[in-house]
Amino acid sequence: MKTNSDIKLGVSLYSYQDNYYFHKHDLEGCLAAAAGAGATGIEIFPEAMIPEWPYISDSFIDRYNGMMERYGLETVCVDHFADRAMHKNKLLTDDELLERSIWYIKAANKLGATHIRLMHSAHLGRLLSMPGHEPIDLVGPELAGRLLPYCQEYGIVMALECHSPTSVDDPVQQAYLEVADKMGLSEYIGLQVDFSSYEYCISTADVGMYSRQGVNRDFLELIREKQREAYFSGKEFVFEEVEPELRKIGFTDEDKNSLRFVLRHRAPASYEKLKEFASQVVYVHGKFYDIDEDGQVDNMDYPKIFKALIDGGYKGYICSEFEGNRRMNDAGWCDEIEYVRKHHVLMRKCLEMYK
Amino acid sequence: MYDKHILTDEGCRSIWERGKKVGYCVNIKINYYRGLPLSCIEEIALKVDGEEVNPETMLVQHNGREYRYMDLLTDDFPTDVYWIFGEKLRVVVQKEGGIEQGRHKVELTLKTRRTYTPTMVSTCEKILTFA
Repeated sequence: MKTNSDIKLGVSLYSYQDNYYFHKHDLEGCLAAAAGAGATGIEIFPEAMIPEWPYISDSFIDRYNGMMERYGLETVCVDHFADRAMHKNKLLTDDELLERSIWYIKAANKLGATHIRLMHSAHLGRLLSMPGHEPIDLVGPELAGRLLPYCQEYGIVMALECHSPTSVDDPVQQAYLEVADKMGLSEYIGLQVDFSSYEYCISTADVGMYSRQGVNRDFLELIREKQREAYFSGKEFVFEEVEPELRKIGFTDEDKNSLRFVLRHRAPASYEKLKEFASQVVYVHGKFYDIDEDGQVDNMDYPKIFKALIDGGYKGYICSEFEGNRRMNDAGWCDEIEYVRKHHVLMRKCLEMYK
Repeated sequence: MYDKHILTDEGCRSIWERGKKVGYCVNIKINYYRGLPLSCIEEIALKVDGEEVNPETMLVQHNGREYRYMDLLTDDFPTDVYWIFGEKLRVVVQKEGGIEQGRHKVELTLKTRRTYTPTMVSTCEKILTFA
């Protein structure tokens, strides 16, 4: 169902990963689910839902095109991955990763897509080191530059996904755009918003997951409440200010370590900056983890995010990217199709509100 | 994510040749949201009834091909052979006499490399009935 807006709505099939993994739906079932939610476009991970990957046959393409026609869908985006750590003791060279990355550009072209999501080195901002993991360079600016002529040849735009803790206004993203500017190929690369940058509190999906992993639910609910209080009163959440209250009810160093990714979060990225950068954005992940009883995403301010994108002049797709599944499915079946349906109702309302 | 489901209860049985048991197999699924090249398998470790399975006796069968498990771990294994998302990978343990029919405790540790995060380590333990 088309929107009355420059913004179109789609679904990343990532949202239906459990339906696929557990064989409740095949690719066609996932496409039917997306179309049924009202999507006119989809994003696909080739190595999840195209079993022939990396060698996609013409007969697969014929069947795929037939399905897209049947469900009134277009392919918006193919997800690129930079699997450089291919072997235990050896990383792929830049030349090898270039060759692999071209697979995705060619696949996108074959599938009729306009974009690939490039897994670039700055997708989480500066390279993050995590416990037990020295950061590995993915696709840096120079390698992105080497991919641009292929994008031009195949008519594909590379979307630089800016995922929490980074956001589109992070200066670290600019190096990629500068390379393209110098080559006169800037129309083949652009910024991609991921709504994870705009989380203002821990999601109820995370509250459930962490509590099942052994963190006391009271701690999680108190943290969530304090984060919401801070956001709605226009302040930053500072964990150290809440810590004494948590310690009083038994919060330990071990809890602090388990929740380190939650506790570092102070505030959503700037809506003003999002508006300022919106016209440079080429693609958007409508990330969400849970939807509350009012039909709102429980830890992101969708109306504000949509307003910033619309006022800033974003033209293109927002695809639902439901990530609640991996946070909820340890407790039983997670109804991805229903979550995405509700998400599309919300996104349509947001578009109506500011048209 | 999928930790509880990586060890399936499907197709567990002895492998027979000419009326004799020469091994047994289990079927496992990936611990990730997409397929990965088989070369990204860091480790598949099995314990059956508390006893570690010798990795040198393991074969891996997937998508119509068979590989020696130890070959997957080498630094020149092909990078375009994928473990298909949602599809079973059959691990065959070569063992004279196979496995006694009936229920056995199986413990699986599966480690996969995905470059942009630390290696994902998943464990799953189940009582499985072998045919």
